Amino acid sequence: MFSKLALKNVVRSVRDYSVYFLTLTFGVCIFYVFNSMDAQYVMDALRSSRSNIIEVLVTLIDVLSAFVSVVLGFLILYANRFMIRRRKRELGTYLLLGMDGGLVSGLLLLETLLIGLFSLGAGLALGVVLSQFISILTAGLFQITLTEFYFVFSLKAVLKTALYFGVIFLVVMFFNSFTVSRQKLIDLLHAHRENQDLKLKSVRASLVMFLAGAALLAIAYTMLLRRGILTIDTLFFVMLGLGSLGTLLFFRSLSGFLLKLCQSAKGMYYRGLNMFILRQFNSRINSTYVSMTVICLMLLLAIGITACSIGLNNTISSITDGTAPYDVTVQFLSSGGTPAPDLERWLAEDGFDPAEELGDYLVYQSGWAELDRVGEDLPVTVHVLFQSDCDRLLELQGREPLRLGENEYGLLLGTLQEPEDNPVYETRPVLEINESALLPGPTDRAVLQTGAETGEWYVVLPDWASDIPLFGVEWNLVGNYAPGADAQGANDRLAEAVRQLVPREEQEIYDGYVYGWATKLDIYEQTMGSKIIVLFLGIYLGIVFLLCSAAVLALQQLSQAADNQERYAVLTRLGVEERMRDRSVYVQVFLAFFAPLALAVVHAAVGMTSANEAIAVVGKVDSAASSAVTAVFILVVYGAYFLATCLGSRRIVRGK
Amino acid sequence: MAAILEVDHLQKYYGVRGSVTRAINDLSFTVDRGEFVGIMGASGSGKTTLLNCIATIDAPTAGRIAVEGKEITRLKSRELSRFRRERLGFVFQDANLLDTLTAFENIALALTIQKVPAAQVEPRVKETARLLDISECLNKYPYQLSGGQRQRTAAARAIITNPALILADEPTGALDSKSARLLLDRFEVLNREMQATILMVTHDAFTASYCRRILFIKDGRPFTELIRGDQGRKEFFNKIIEVVTILGGDSGDVL
Repeated sequence: MFSKLALKNVVRSVRDYSVYFLTLTFGVCIFYVFNSMDAQYVMDALRSSRSNIIEVLVTLIDVLSAFVSVVLGFLILYANRFMIRRRKRELGTYLLLGMDGGLVSGLLLLETLLIGLFSLGAGLALGVVLSQFISILTAGLFQITLTEFYFVFSLKAVLKTALYFGVIFLVVMFFNSFTVSRQKLIDLLHAHRENQDLKLKSVRASLVMFLAGAALLAIAYTMLLRRGILTIDTLFFVMLGLGSLGTLLFFRSLSGFLLKLCQSAKGMYYRGLNMFILRQFNSRINSTYVSMTVICLMLLLAIGITACSIGLNNTISSITDGTAPYDVTVQFLSSGGTPAPDLERWLAEDGFDPAEELGDYLVYQSGWAELDRVGEDLPVTVHVLFQSDCDRLLELQGREPLRLGENEYGLLLGTLQEPEDNPVYETRPVLEINESALLPGPTDRAVLQTGAETGEWYVVLPDWASDIPLFGVEWNLVGNYAPGADAQGANDRLAEAVRQLVPREEQEIYDGYVYGWATKLDIYEQTMGSKIIVLFLGIYLGIVFLLCSAAVLALQQLSQAADNQERYAVLTRLGVEERMRDRSVYVQVFLAFFAPLALAVVHAAVGMTSANEAIAVVGKVDSAASSAVTAVFILVVYGAYFLATCLGSRRIVRGK
Repeated sequence: MAAILEVDHLQKYYGVRGSVTRAINDLSFTVDRGEFVGIMGASGSGKTTLLNCIATIDAPTAGRIAVEGKEITRLKSRELSRFRRERLGFVFQDANLLDTLTAFENIALALTIQKVPAAQVEPRVKETARLLDISECLNKYPYQLSGGQRQRTAAARAIITNPALILADEPTGALDSKSARLLLDRFEVLNREMQATILMVTHDAFTASYCRRILFIKDGRPFTELIRGDQGRKEFFNKIIEVVTILGGDSGDVL
């Protein structure tokens, strides 16, 4: 009988609080999907490559999951408190009928256990299904074709999810029993009669609060824009505090402010149900302004994180294209004075013959030199390259050569926004080589090797200066595969050949050498890895925050709709048409959903302006595109919750 | 005088085949303009069902109800809302005020949903409040008002739209005798001065003694009718008691 009652209550709760259960299930699902990331097929493929991206991703997800579980824990506690509050009368009836207090607590305990098991099971099932789709998606990102169906399942993630949510439900269980055992019977029975006292009545109080809130926000915005987002010190937290307090005051005073504003416009106030809607909104604000503030800040996080991660993701893609101008680069470094290495022969001997494997390639020399400047005592140390090599390199990239005059030097700057710490670029000195002067000539922007830094820059000298002493000489082989070649296979052969580049018998000649190599494919894989980390973690957090905010709002509105049922019954008796009543419900839900969203968008716009400047150091963020993607994402999730709440509230209010 | 309300062979059955409850069984009567009519009967006699049918909250099984000659049993949902809004006024046992609105706004709401121009709202509310003697508490919220004040606010909301018919369902049910007397005095004033037509359902003989005419129903059928005429309220009250005794209503209801 006891467990039957519990089961019946659970079934009823599922129906009444479908939004809560959906969110719970969805929370479990998201948690599982991201924690089972390392079981993905793609991750196996990545693990075999040289990077340790996977370990980084898994560690980061671990850390974030601890945080996410705390957030979800609070959400569940909150939603649970909501359900208990709405059931106080029912619980009071149990006590009144002579059920022991401990038994009622036990009933709640059992119910929470059932609810937990139910949503855990549903969430895990959904998560396993979803991770199959993620598998296809990530494979697409890495351009890997899945030849056979690969079932993704991680027992570790299942156990972890069960453990984390088990702890959350345990906390909820004890919280429930505690709440009930602490309550007096009279309060439980009269719970529905509790009247909210309307504290904020004076127009001046809400006006002052509104202005104070706006001022605090303005100060926080100014600080953020002036100081940037990356200066994290005491002032940074002061700024966060000011912003949060400003948001709080804004929502605290919003309804009173709106009410007074409309009351002064009588034509507006005494029209249809406007009066009723505004009063409803105002009467609720005491209990909703804190959650509206939290929701606004959560939305801000969701918007900011998602937008920034998508933006950064695009940035990384474009950087990747910039750092891999050729399919293959092999580099051999030695201190000056050694004979030129025979890179082509060495590679060919170990199974990678450049003449066969590569469609176009060239070998060239670059290095470091001290150059004298006219009018300066100290020489300047620069990276040098000679004109004919430079022109051939540019040609291989399909670009125009650098047109140097007879007595000119050129500058080849990297693709980074602004060349940093470049004395030659800044002052354009006249150089002196072998007692002839070199005037500053043309400049161009290019990256010359695959895998090179985007800030790497060269002074291009005429060919006649090639006998100047170089130290730290670099011999480079760069090339592209012939069209239609099997790049992956060739890369594997190259990796094998490079494993021991310098033949044993020649090692003594090249004392103190270093060599390295990079391929376009490797670079793609690596940046794809960081791309995936940024994208996944950003979306993980974004979804969780968005889900929480939307769920809290939806729960609040639905529960309010239930409270409003009697009020709407009165309106019906007064002869208010159904259409008019529905509109009033929509307006109330709309206000609750879009007031926090509107402020969060403003916050995010300011925050992202600041963040863009921080990211711009690495590369330009495509903020228009990423904002659009974020907007669509948020509209879909948030909009779905909004619609569900509108329909749910309407159903409740209509009393069906 | 013109008939405001005509009830003609009204029937209302509840339940399914086999166990039918005849809440109203062939009931006919009319109410003329400016009348103050009471409907009495023991618990379960069909009083509230009758009122719900007239209020268009419930639909009758058979028969016809017409208000100002218009048959309301045939109206569609939207026309019903409009009819309730414009032609009817309600006063219920629990005042049914909106707790989030002040008394003033509660009364004003009846006007704003009829799309009355905003400029007319304030003077009309104040005028009606004066008539019901609640001018002092217009800016209070329902929970700050006494039960009597709440009922009079509800009455103000009911009459402000100048309805053809005011329906009152046990309006004094939740009031102490002093507040009840105050409210009923106001009903008399409304009836006398504003020519408001009032149909009041009650099982309380004292409350009923304020009416000009009383219909008694028993088991869904008309039982008898009492007309006050020139009698004083005390005499009328005694007559009501007599009928109630014959009706077999429990004497507890009388006192």
